[in-house]
Amino acid sequence: MSANGTAQPSSGPTFFLPDFCGSRAVLAVVLIVELVALVFAIARQALHDNFWTDLATSSLFLLWVGLTCTAVLCRTRGWLHTLPTARAASIAILLLVATVAIVSEVVFQVGRYWNIDADNAAFSIFPRDHAGFLLRNVAVGFIVSALALRYFYINAQHQRSIEMEALARIRALQARIRPHFLFNSMNTIASLTRSNPEQAEQAVEDLADLFRASLNDATTRISLEEEIEIARTHARIEELRLGKRLRVEWDIDQLPLNARVPSLIVQPLLENAVYHGIETLPEGGRIAISGSRVGDALQIEVRNPMAHEAGYGEREGNRMALENIRQRLELAWPGRARVETELENGEFCARLIFPYADSPLLEGSSPYS
Amino acid sequence: MKLLIVDDEPPARERLRRLLAEIEDCEVIAEAENGEEALSVCGELKPDVVLLDVRMPGLSGIQVARHIDSLEDPPAVIFTTAYDQYAVDAFETEAVGYLLKPVRKEKLAHALRHAGRISPSRLQKVAESARIEHKREQICARLGEQLRLIPVPDIYFFLADQKYVTVKHKGGENLIDESLKSLAEEFSPDFIRIHRNALVAEKYISAVERTGAGQYVVRMRECGSVLEVSRRHAAELLRRIRGTG
Repeated sequence: MSANGTAQPSSGPTFFLPDFCGSRAVLAVVLIVELVALVFAIARQALHDNFWTDLATSSLFLLWVGLTCTAVLCRTRGWLHTLPTARAASIAILLLVATVAIVSEVVFQVGRYWNIDADNAAFSIFPRDHAGFLLRNVAVGFIVSALALRYFYINAQHQRSIEMEALARIRALQARIRPHFLFNSMNTIASLTRSNPEQAEQAVEDLADLFRASLNDATTRISLEEEIEIARTHARIEELRLGKRLRVEWDIDQLPLNARVPSLIVQPLLENAVYHGIETLPEGGRIAISGSRVGDALQIEVRNPMAHEAGYGEREGNRMALENIRQRLELAWPGRARVETELENGEFCARLIFPYADSPLLEGSSPYS
Repeated sequence: MKLLIVDDEPPARERLRRLLAEIEDCEVIAEAENGEEALSVCGELKPDVVLLDVRMPGLSGIQVARHIDSLEDPPAVIFTTAYDQYAVDAFETEAVGYLLKPVRKEKLAHALRHAGRISPSRLQKVAESARIEHKREQICARLGEQLRLIPVPDIYFFLADQKYVTVKHKGGENLIDESLKSLAEEFSPDFIRIHRNALVAEKYISAVERTGAGQYVVRMRECGSVLEVSRRHAAELLRRIRGTG
């Protein structure tokens, strides 16, 4: 007996075999067994006079086989879980085939015992041909177990991919606006509410704009002008919080503001520059955002100073945000956009390079030169 | 109750100050915008409670707390943080006082009533589970009212006598009020225990010699000191020296 009918101790990566100890699984097995028995009975109808007797005998036998197999899987699942998937699957099939063989043998022996004098074999529900009966059952058992395991495996894979997708979506959302930024901004606003209500009001408006932008679908395209405005909004909030420690310089006159870009590609770079750069420096520093146009490619660069030895040894968030931008640029311009980073003389630089003209993004947007 | 506010963000300090003004029997005696400043204020003004931001440039809040704890008669510490899931979990398990920003007045008042000193071992556990840098880069020594920060890379060895620990470093010698055991834990593996009363910087060991009596001694580079190795620590020391040599 398993200690707990339904709750599986490890809820980590889902195991492809479902829990066979619960009543739901037993019900499913009974249903499957009945369907298989029905298939047999239909297929053999030509050979037998009485369809219903045949169905009943098949059902009786297959139920024994099915429920014994369920019990075996129920007991061995915990152990199988510890094995690599391929081995677990092979062993499960072996176990099932062995179970089928044993149940068949028992049934045959019981049949021989009962039928010892009654020799009207034609009406016996028990098999007469020993080797043939065993072999056929083992073969059918093998095929059905293999099919069932394959089904369970695909089902588990499907389940897992749904979970992964949901997780990825949440991560993507989190990568865009960090909780760290949210709560620090809230704290700044709480402070300004009394000391400088006008600034507090503007900070709330800015924060609202930022969140509206972050709630957009990740594939939304906006104009570069709007994207720059989002980044400026972010910078305004950070300037309130960090005071004179943060200076942001914009050199973006060369950028065509009507270019269409995936939303939130510049703002996360700015957020990173503050989080991993300015905040780690007691004296703060300058973030330089510059844009240029080289032929039909646009280039946006964000530079920030970095502490050599930051008090916080965490760089994971940085990579995640950059990876997020890289993926979305790749989605927008497959093979034609890239994200570059470099660390030079204590200065970190993230660079986005993506095409300007003749982009597929133009579809549906207002035409421009 | 005398309080010190330590936070690198001006609005955060301002808000705490205002909340504290509304709480009875509280007096903010100073504000500091980084760890170094906080330490010198602690030495001079001797606050009762320090409100300490976890994430700051330079010294992290945990590092500052570690320094504060090495002071004679250390103040109580309450950490503040805007968002740091790991740190908050660690504060909970180690029962370390903390406040989430934006701070609520009732929670602040409650935390002040229950504020206490945090031992180095608890701080270390917090830092490890929160993945915050906690090894100090300097050691804080007192010279009367003055605090002196000794860079760890400049330290040759720590030597304990009855009550105090002597730090021998490039700039001379100072007394600190810390246990050799916690220093050994914090600065392992750069420092090696060679005796119940001695912890030496591995990089300053110039030679390990055997005396006539079968005793080992360590000869230190630059400062020229010769320190006794106890039998218990000899094997480990030799293994380390050979392994790295």
